[in-house]
Amino acid sequence: MSILETRENGLAPGTDPASSPRRRDRHAIAGLRSLGTRLLTAAGVVWAAATFTFLIQSLLPGDRATLLLNQLNGQIQERTAAELAPINEKYGFTDPLFVQYFRFLGDLATGNLGISYQLHKPVTEVIGDQIAPTIVLTFTSLLIAWVISTLVIVGTAKRNRFFSSVASGLEALAAGLPQYWLGVILLVVFALNLGLFPVVGGTGIGGLLLPALTLGIPLAGFLGQVIRTEFESGMDQPFALTARMRGMGDTGVRLRHVLRHSVLPGITLSGWALGSLFSGAVIAESIFTRPGLGKVLVTAVNSRDLPVVCGIVILVAVIYVLANLLVDIAYTLIDPRLKKS
Amino acid sequence: MKNRQPAYQPTSRSKTVKVGAAASAAALSLLLAACGGQTTPAANAGTGEKVDGGTIRYAHLQEPACVYGGWVQQAFLSRQVLDSLVSQTEDGSIVPWLAEKWKVSEDQLTWTFTLKPGLEFTDGTPLDAQAVSDNFEFWQAGGNGTVQAHIGDYYSSSRAIDAKTLEVKLSDPFTPFLSALSQGYFGIQSPTALGTRSEAENCEAPIGSGPFTVGEWKRGQSITFNRNDAYNSAPQNAKHQGPAYVDSVVWSFIQDNTSRFGSLASGESDAIGEVPTVDFDTAKSQFDVQQYLTPGRPVTLSLNTVEGPFTDVKVRQAFAYSADRKAVVDSAFLGVVPFEGNGTVSSSTPGYNPDVAVDYPFDAAKANTLLDQAGWTERSAEGTRTKDGKELEVKIVFGLNSIVTAEGATALQNLQEQVKATGFKVTLVPATQAELFSGQFSTPDSYDAQLGYWTSPHAGILHINFRQNTEKKPNPANTTFYNNAEIEDIILKANSAKTTAEANKLYGQAQQLLSDQAVAVGLYTQTSSVASNPKLKDIWLEASQGEPVFHDAYFTE
Repeated sequence: MSILETRENGLAPGTDPASSPRRRDRHAIAGLRSLGTRLLTAAGVVWAAATFTFLIQSLLPGDRATLLLNQLNGQIQERTAAELAPINEKYGFTDPLFVQYFRFLGDLATGNLGISYQLHKPVTEVIGDQIAPTIVLTFTSLLIAWVISTLVIVGTAKRNRFFSSVASGLEALAAGLPQYWLGVILLVVFALNLGLFPVVGGTGIGGLLLPALTLGIPLAGFLGQVIRTEFESGMDQPFALTARMRGMGDTGVRLRHVLRHSVLPGITLSGWALGSLFSGAVIAESIFTRPGLGKVLVTAVNSRDLPVVCGIVILVAVIYVLANLLVDIAYTLIDPRLKKS
Repeated sequence: MKNRQPAYQPTSRSKTVKVGAAASAAALSLLLAACGGQTTPAANAGTGEKVDGGTIRYAHLQEPACVYGGWVQQAFLSRQVLDSLVSQTEDGSIVPWLAEKWKVSEDQLTWTFTLKPGLEFTDGTPLDAQAVSDNFEFWQAGGNGTVQAHIGDYYSSSRAIDAKTLEVKLSDPFTPFLSALSQGYFGIQSPTALGTRSEAENCEAPIGSGPFTVGEWKRGQSITFNRNDAYNSAPQNAKHQGPAYVDSVVWSFIQDNTSRFGSLASGESDAIGEVPTVDFDTAKSQFDVQQYLTPGRPVTLSLNTVEGPFTDVKVRQAFAYSADRKAVVDSAFLGVVPFEGNGTVSSSTPGYNPDVAVDYPFDAAKANTLLDQAGWTERSAEGTRTKDGKELEVKIVFGLNSIVTAEGATALQNLQEQVKATGFKVTLVPATQAELFSGQFSTPDSYDAQLGYWTSPHAGILHINFRQNTEKKPNPANTTFYNNAEIEDIILKANSAKTTAEANKLYGQAQQLLSDQAVAVGLYTQTSSVASNPKLKDIWLEASQGEPVFHDAYFTE
């Protein structure tokens, strides 16, 4: 959305904006307005995510007070009204749904995410305890995916028919790899058989690589697929030819011109990938026994710990929003034409 | 304590087996086995001399939300920090723990416990008779629902006669009282901690008098238990008195089976719980393996006796006859977990009636006759029996990964396949933990059969599961909804019998009567297991619920 707008603005022919003060003002106002729109959109996304999660968690069949009581005792049974009364009282489950919803929104607006039903701790604390390892894992996976995909593409695209198609086939394969399967294979081969990495990953550096590869390899496949098409067409573009005519070597052309030209779709994909890595981290977390938000989220969903589920979903929504903002910024850095807007 | 169970060998693996997932897991375990030689710490390299201190790295399957609670997973944790009044031994007898002696009045209504002298909680609160009485009140006030399920109908009041003497009054005689008290749920906590600390603190780090205290809990990773240096109240069946030998236990949570067993194979864990069935043989050849058959109700199919096809006793019996359940279980669990034919009480429970286990062998002819008699005479195009145009469809609900393991689910699939021949159409409904606990599958209209277990060190579990469910006195733990005044009467008589022997005889009768009615169809025993590095000695599985005890454990060189 906003990416396209800015792009059009940037491409619009015009004189240097800095040369006219009136223009600068207008740009400042437009910039503020676009910032305002963006913030509103972001708030809207977060509100929608919170609302959906709240409604789904509240309206699922089954009684929440019964759930809490049974969970505490490891039993699966009906409960009497007398048993449930104190729990209903404590959490206000018997209030009309819209009362519960507005209470929830009110708390949310003041930054209060509530207290976990299961852990009896503030949700901010639950998230705070677990967020660091998840962020490390997410960004490392993304980095690995980029390193693998660019190396493969720069090395193989349009170089030799055979290598090129093998690499492209491998990308398709990698993109289709189930993360769980890949994780177990990596664990068995590199941690158990070869003993190169710890089996129980924990939060150490040594324990980071395998989980990051588990998430990074399939993503590298996706990235490779979208970048490759762009890269191959870039190699045939006049600017590539011009660079060659200037006497630039093949690798130089690939790295400095064609790659730069072709990573834009990859950048867009990364915005989505950040969010999806964040929520998909649970697979790597459980295979390699890493702490992290993914596991917390799955446990919370399993036990319908509404405050925790909402807290994490809101966080993921915020991350999506931020990631898309980063993508926009990255666009302007890579494509200098966009800076002019 | 080792090898409670005789080495168990699968007898038939050639029956219809669905082992898609199991096969790939087995392939992995072969990979593991292949590398076992180089990664396994050499068992006999050391001198065998005892080393003081050290940290035991133990890896467990499930991570509950709190250390203390009424779920067996919580008892596993709270056993490390809390002591109970008494302890049960392997043969079912009761020995002193916090209480050094006890007596019961002639009418069996008044129990008097004498506590060991000089006991103290780790927060400095004296562990006296009043403290224990406070715990009884805490449980009764809703502090632990499982405690209430065990003694709620019998407990009347308790008081401290003096600092060392506790008196507990019951409303009716309750023979399995001491046995019930030996469970982790009945761990005694500091009343100061219960009364003054926040809910979160009592959830994460209950204060007891046990061999360890709760240190740091890294959620999603591990709990560290630190040695209680002042510990001097081990149960009589412990291997030593005084503080634990090791400095600490790092109790990590590794859900993935491959990773958990791998952590032991690679030497990153010293011991693991819930040894994966595919790795069981490998584990036995390289490590010290202990398996515990959990007493109480086995993993059993409770048949809904008030709605649906199982309201007819003939149909229930026919269902039990319709499958070779032993083969079903053996193939799913690769022979690691034993078949249990008794649907109400498991084989390791004192008071188990072994005759009941063989009441319903695989007998297709009998099943067919019973179904014909019950009026299910027609067959649909797919071979499902019908009656008045209705198919003989049975909906089985089970809590996948919370109550029932993946192997248990495979057993159900095997069963589903087998009972097809006699005309049952089984629909399997795997339920999520949230669905199950929220009571979505607790009502008579929500299932025809439900798979589940309930741990209990005594056969009084029958009272919990088969006490009548009446309007005046509901019993939601009666998952078969089966009400039978005669059977309830026998169970009540057993609960209040003069001696344990007499009680067990009556419990045996009740099991027979319930089996005749085929209200519950047994499948397999709930188990817990530990595999440990041979250099780590003397871990034992306590007898009430199979929790690993680390107080006696030590490393050797």
